[in-house]
Order: sequence, then structure tokens, then C-alpha cells
Amino acid sequence: MKILLIEDEKELSRSIETYLAQESFICETALTYDQAREKINLYRYDCVVVDITLPDGNGLDIIRELKKNQLETGIIIVSAKNSVDDKITGLEIGADDYLAKPFHLAELNARIKSIIRRRSFSGKNEIRMNEIHIIPDEMEVFINDKQITLTKKEFDLLIFFISNKNRVLTKEAIAEHLWGDEIDLVDSFDFIYTHIKNLRRKILEKGGEDYIRTIYGMGYKFGTS
Amino acid sequence: MKLLTRTSIYYFISSLLVFVIGGFIFYNVIQSIFYKQLDDTLITEKKLIEEQINYSDSLPDFRTVFGHMIQVTVFNDRLKKSEKINDTIIASDDRTELISCRHLHVTNTSISNRGYIIHIFKPIGETKNLITAILLAMTFLFISLMGLLLLVNYYISKRVWIPFYRTLRSLSHYNINQEEPLHLTKTRISEFRLLNKALENMSIKIRRDFLNLKEFTENASHELQTPLAIIKSKLELLVQSEQLTVEQMQLIHSVYDAVTRISKLNQGLLLISKIENNQFSAVEKVDLQKIILRNLENFEDAFRMKNISTRCQCNEPVILSMNRSLAEILVSNLISNAVKHNVDGGNLEVLANQTNLRISNTGHSLSISPQRLFERFSKSDRTSESVGLGLAIVRQIANLYRMQVEYRYENQLHTIIVSFPFPDSEKNKSLKE
Repeated sequence: MKILLIEDEKELSRSIETYLAQESFICETALTYDQAREKINLYRYDCVVVDITLPDGNGLDIIRELKKNQLETGIIIVSAKNSVDDKITGLEIGADDYLAKPFHLAELNARIKSIIRRRSFSGKNEIRMNEIHIIPDEMEVFINDKQITLTKKEFDLLIFFISNKNRVLTKEAIAEHLWGDEIDLVDSFDFIYTHIKNLRRKILEKGGEDYIRTIYGMGYKFGTS
Repeated sequence: MKLLTRTSIYYFISSLLVFVIGGFIFYNVIQSIFYKQLDDTLITEKKLIEEQINYSDSLPDFRTVFGHMIQVTVFNDRLKKSEKINDTIIASDDRTELISCRHLHVTNTSISNRGYIIHIFKPIGETKNLITAILLAMTFLFISLMGLLLLVNYYISKRVWIPFYRTLRSLSHYNINQEEPLHLTKTRISEFRLLNKALENMSIKIRRDFLNLKEFTENASHELQTPLAIIKSKLELLVQSEQLTVEQMQLIHSVYDAVTRISKLNQGLLLISKIENNQFSAVEKVDLQKIILRNLENFEDAFRMKNISTRCQCNEPVILSMNRSLAEILVSNLISNAVKHNVDGGNLEVLANQTNLRISNTGHSLSISPQRLFERFSKSDRTSESVGLGLAIVRQIANLYRMQVEYRYENQLHTIIVSFPFPDSEKNKSLKE
């Protein structure tokens, strides 16, 4: 899977690159508008992550160009928080998703995976991990071919975990994924625990493995190792 | 009291004072002049009578000579010489009326050694009439003069103070947030010109400082964004490391928590300055009811966690013209606030209609004064983890759309009321569309 990351902030770009590289993605970076244009004209990518505000141009123009030449490429817009105009324009001209800065690396990773999943299996969108089988569009989850019923939050949590498997997910990242960052509650972490407990119980009941581990203070890890 | 009324009153009082004192002096002077004249006449007549007595030892025919009351009594003894003038009242000839008179009383002895007493009476009625007439004329003069003075003063002042009132009007309509600097109309009166100049200079300086401050807040928060995002992303990478000990993990966790808080704080400040700088210009019709219902759903876990029972009275669409993001933030901040400061097993009520939005919650009594509730960083220490910007943002959003925000404590409930401006016109507009 090839990903192009267009982000002018070098250190941020490196962080994202490192995180994504561990997912066996081939991640290329462009720090400027010109670099980005050069790359999209030379190579094909499965997914492009575009920062709208670049020092030498507007990320929206890159999206327009991509839409002309590489229709099958997934596009995620990254832009400053609360720039609703960017969000609306971006989605109108064909971006698949929008992520407000600052974001968690795990969140970006999950979004990229979701887009690639939807695009590569042309309709047959599914996730398999050992005994777990998920059909995201139907919101169906099977453990050892036995269906389990999950709430919306548990379902989102499971997909988020599997997208970031073997990674430590901070509680903040999980809370933001499930409730958005507007909820901003001090004790929001307590109710993450409730959902995790239920999810774990439901998987165990159908003979699944116990994948979720608590990482001291920080958060959780959905580990296969 | 208006300046004009006050100066007029001062004019009136001082003129009245001058008139009373002046009138008193004037009256006395006139009266003494007239009396002097009367007395002189009396003395002259007396002299004539005495001359006659001494010259011919006979009395003149008074009636033909003087035509008024003279009484001479002659004695055979000598009389001591005396002379005095006073006011007196005598009965008229036909004894029907009393006449107020000036009276000369002389006693003397003639050369033929016979004593005599002369009484000369002169009626002063005419003199009195004259004085009264003069005083009346003066009073009339005074009243008309004063009336004229006040009128002229009033009109002059009114004209002269026009630039002042104009300046005052411009000042009261001036809003430091507006684009245009304060501009005052020109005037030819140098004092007002100086005043206008001073005011304009002051407003320019204040505006510059205000803009600088606003710009600084926004720039500072904006510049902080990237380093904070970098720190967070590096920490996220760091925790992925397999070799971390529990102690190291604890350290990272503390750093991560702190950075998250700074980041939240910074986002809040940036949001406030963006609202202040009117960067949420895209206005659309938003349905507050939908936003409220969605937010309540999103907060369901929080309600369950704290055993909060909720009640929502918003049965009709509430259409407002505002920025969608800001509407979302307004509602979620209010609900989040009502959850944060709620007690376990408490209540939360949301009520929305065309005129206002009310969010009430049970909770401990306020540890800060209600006036400071909507200020930045004013938070009760009960939940010191929170950043303390939530309600400041609410007020900022409300200000932008001329909504009123107020806090009330009624029926043991902390209630925040956001009142929408001109609910009727808003309603009509939405009905027309």
C-alpha cells in the first residue's frame, strides 16, 4: 500500500511516517505544494493525506488534480480545527475524509485503513483477524463464525483496536475516536473502561481470545503477540 | 440635570439677587430724594410765614398763598424755639378720609415777644404714587430683561454646545470592535476641536493596543499549535516502544496528560480569538433541536456514569441563523458544563424554544461569584482538571450573535439561560422560507 503524506511541518510529517511505516505501508512525504504536485504526477498512491494549508499553495488544488488523474486514490484532508469551510469544500471536490488538527496518529491510521479497505475490495469490505471476522458496512461481527451483538460504541472500539493492533492506544485517542473531542470530560476515561469490559466479555463468551491489555496509566493495547 | 438648565438657573438666581438688593437701594434713594424735596418746600414755606410774622406782625392768608393745610397758633407768652419734621396722618376737611402727610412743626417767638406754633402739612400720596409707578416700571424692565437674557443664553448655549453633543453621540455609538476608527465631526470652537482631537488620538491608541492584544493571543495560540502537535505525536510514538519500564511509562503518561491539557487550553484560546476576530463568518440556518438531541445522545455514557437523569423539553425545531460549528460548540459546552459540575444521581434539564435555551443541573453551590462564571479561567477548584474556558466560549459565541447569557439559581438548580435576539422576526423568517 502506497501512501503520500503532504504536510509542511517536518517533525509532524516524520512522526506520521514512522507510525505508518510500522503498518507495512510505503509512506512517502512531500513538504511543499510543488513537491506534492510532482509526486502525484509521477506516481500512483492508494491514499493521499493532504494538509490544506501549505506554505506555497492550497491543498485543495492538489485534491482537484488528483480527482482528474487518479480517481481511485483515497484522499484524507488534514486541516486546522474548526475550519468548516475547508471541510465542506474538501468533501465537495471529492475528498473521502476530513481530520482536524491536532489529531492522534492512531486516528489517522484508522481512517487511512478504512478508506483503503473500502476502495481496494470494491464492495466486499471486510476485516479478518484470527477468529474475528467483521463486515463493517453491515455492522456484523463474528467470533469463530458465531455472530455477536455489539453496541455502536463497542463496534467502533473494536474496529479502532484492530486498525491499530499491537499499538498502545492512549485513553485520549480512544475517547476522541468514540465521542469526538467536544465531549471534553475529565472522567470520560471511566466510561471507556465500561465499553472495553463489555467488548472483552462478548468476545470471550464466543470462545475468542483475550486480546485487550491494559497499559499502565496510558491506555490499552489490542495485541495478537 | 442638563448643563443648559443648570446655567439658566444660575443666571436666574444671580439676576434675582441683583434685582432684590438693587431694588431695595433704588427704592430708598428715590424715597429720600422725594422727601428731601418735600422737606425743602416745607422749610421754604415756614420761612415765608416767619418773615411775614416778623415783618408785619400779622399772619398771611394761607389759603390764597399756599392752597394747603397750614395751622398757626399765636400765644402771648414766649415759646422755646424748636423745629421738627415727621410723617403723620390727618383727617381730610370733610373728615371722610385719612391723608398721609409730611408734617413740619415749628415753635418760636416773634420779635414782638409773642410765641407761635406753625404746623405745615403736605400730603405725600402723590409722591408715593410716583415711587410705585417707578418701581413697577423697573420690575417690568427687569422681568423682560431676564426673560430675554435666559432666552438668548438658552439659544446661544444650544448652538454653541452642538459640537459637544455630536461628539458625545459618536462616542456612545463607538464600538472598539468596529473596522472604522473613531471619527468626529469638525468644529470651529477651539475647545471642542481640542477635545475631539484628544478623543480621536486616545481611541486610535486604545484600538491599536486592543488589536495588538487580539492579534497576539491568536498568533501565540496559533504558533503553539504545531510544537504541541509534534510533542503529542512523538509521545504517541514513544509509548509504542516495547522496552519501556513501568516507571518510564508513568513519566510519559504524566507528560502526555500535561501536554493534552495545554493543547486543550490552547485550542480553547484559539477558538475564542477566532470568534472575536469574526472568523466564523459562514452563517446558515441551523436547527438547535437536532444539535441538542445529538449531543444528549453523545453524552449518554457520561450521564450513565454519574447516574444523571435527563429531561429534554425541545419538541419543536428551533431555527437560528448562526455558524454551524459554533452552534455545536455552544450546545456541547453547556451540556458538558452541566455534567462536569453535577453530582452523582443528579438531574439535568434542557429546555429549548424560539426565545431561549435553558440548561439546568443539580450541583454543589458555586464557589465563585456568578458574575465571574463566564470569565476565562474562572473555575471552581472542584474539578481543577478542567481548563476553565467552556463558559467563556459560550459567552463569546452568544456575544457574536447578540444573545444574552445569564446564570440563575432557582429551585436548587444551576441554570444557564441563553436568550435569542428578536425571536419573532426569526420565527417569521423561518416560516416564510
